[in-house]
Amino acid sequence: MTAKGKKSVARIAEAVLPTASVALFVLGWEVFVRARGIAPIFLPAPSVIAVYLWRMIADGTMEYHLGVTLLRIFAGFAVAAVTGIALGLAMGMSRIVAKVADIWIAALYPLPKISLIPLLIIWLGTGEAYRIVISAVTAFFPIVISTYSGIRQADRGLIQAARDLGANAHQIQLKVVIPAAIPSIFAGLHLGMGVTIILIVAAEMIGGSSQSGMGYLLISSGQVMETEKVFASLVVLAVVGAVVIKLQQWTDRKVAPWAHRDDR
Amino acid sequence: MDVVVEDVTQVWGGGSRAEVVALDRFSHRFRSRRFSCLLGPSGCGKSTLIQIVGGLEAATAGRVRIEDPAKPGVARPLGDDSVMVWQNLNLFPWRSVIDNVAFGLEMRGVAAAERYDRARTLISSVGLRGFENHLPGQLSGGMRQRVALARALILERSILLMDEPFAALDAQTKIVMQEELLRIFDATHKTVLFVTHAIEEAILLGDEVVVMTARPGRIKEVIAVDLPRPRSLDMVSSPEFGALFDRTFHLIREEVTAAMAQQAATAAAS
Repeated sequence: MTAKGKKSVARIAEAVLPTASVALFVLGWEVFVRARGIAPIFLPAPSVIAVYLWRMIADGTMEYHLGVTLLRIFAGFAVAAVTGIALGLAMGMSRIVAKVADIWIAALYPLPKISLIPLLIIWLGTGEAYRIVISAVTAFFPIVISTYSGIRQADRGLIQAARDLGANAHQIQLKVVIPAAIPSIFAGLHLGMGVTIILIVAAEMIGGSSQSGMGYLLISSGQVMETEKVFASLVVLAVVGAVVIKLQQWTDRKVAPWAHRDDR
Repeated sequence: MDVVVEDVTQVWGGGSRAEVVALDRFSHRFRSRRFSCLLGPSGCGKSTLIQIVGGLEAATAGRVRIEDPAKPGVARPLGDDSVMVWQNLNLFPWRSVIDNVAFGLEMRGVAAAERYDRARTLISSVGLRGFENHLPGQLSGGMRQRVALARALILERSILLMDEPFAALDAQTKIVMQEELLRIFDATHKTVLFVTHAIEEAILLGDEVVVMTARPGRIKEVIAVDLPRPRSLDMVSSPEFGALFDRTFHLIREEVTAAMAQQAATAAAS
């Protein structure tokens, strides 16, 4: 085979194999469950899960719970993003703010935020406030830290060049330091979004009084051994997660195209 | 503008760290509307010197005066008459070509319509018409170099400080950019301070070549280059050019050897 032929085979393999691996896995799963006659309580076949998923979509349960969860995710994320970016910028602009905030971050960042759930339930009950606070607190830290480090790592050469071209201190912050920090801020937002999803679903599992959301759907289906519904919910969560990540990558490229030179 | 450098000394470090004398009582008058090249081995303080001239670094001792030759004795504030073209260009990667070029005017508060107008004219004069909305990352090295040049020229400062601007370019692009710079110099006759460690480039571009010693940087010799202008690359093969090259080469060889010995000693000590 020619070198060119080899290359095109490699390219086809690259395009096909990822999807094929998923299809193969699902097929293997289906065959395994049917051949062994495994009870759906333990491991339902993919085809059965698909049927359940379809029913849950048709009767609106899935849309309802997913919608509620997404709303909570975006609420928690929005709170964390606004406060996190604001504090990160303030730390970047003022040494005093940075010094004071630093000690708090050092103390609170390593604390597993899930351990705050009992306290928050005592203070806030198990309503919306508790879920949004727990997710926002968790997402807040990676966003603050990335914003601050983005500001601090602004290229000194660019700052000097701006000063040479007549920019004053205020203009340097606004026109050089903050734009230079945008890729780093977005990296923080990615991390923040990831933990927000985790924390909202976890919080929905724990304080179940509102009877809604994907976490509630998962735990309530699990408790009555409706394993098909558990799997259907997991599939939806996985798909949503993938969509969120793709959306973030897309906005990244729109907002900060200069930071993605390699993959253009 | 004349750039009068008087006994400028620059010392780095101190305190707990070992002191490094980058420049040692450097004095020279860079004459108005002349192209001066600073030539020396790596680490001889030539970049430091033009940063001091540009008001971007404070000298440890000594002073720099910017003087209008028509009004001798009246010193103008440092930095107001000069603009720097950086070795690594320092283009703003998130700004399009036109927004990079217009940056200085934007900082000065010039209205958008006017600054884009002027930027567009300058962009086409350096041969980048059609690339106004590209990001620096989408351009080749030579094109980025042109953007950096246009960004400096738009301010119409009378002193152009250039810190090894062509060092990172490939040989062909470098030749094209040198010709471009000669053309700009012939058209505008700015006062140019050009840092380089390429002998040929220094002679081809400069009216004078200030040869510096290895660290601490002092003037070893000032060589007047009386090749006629407009210059062209053909002159490189002329006997006059060859004589200047030989003379400069012998001066610089001693200093490069000294600098290498210094670096070896520093490396051995650390």
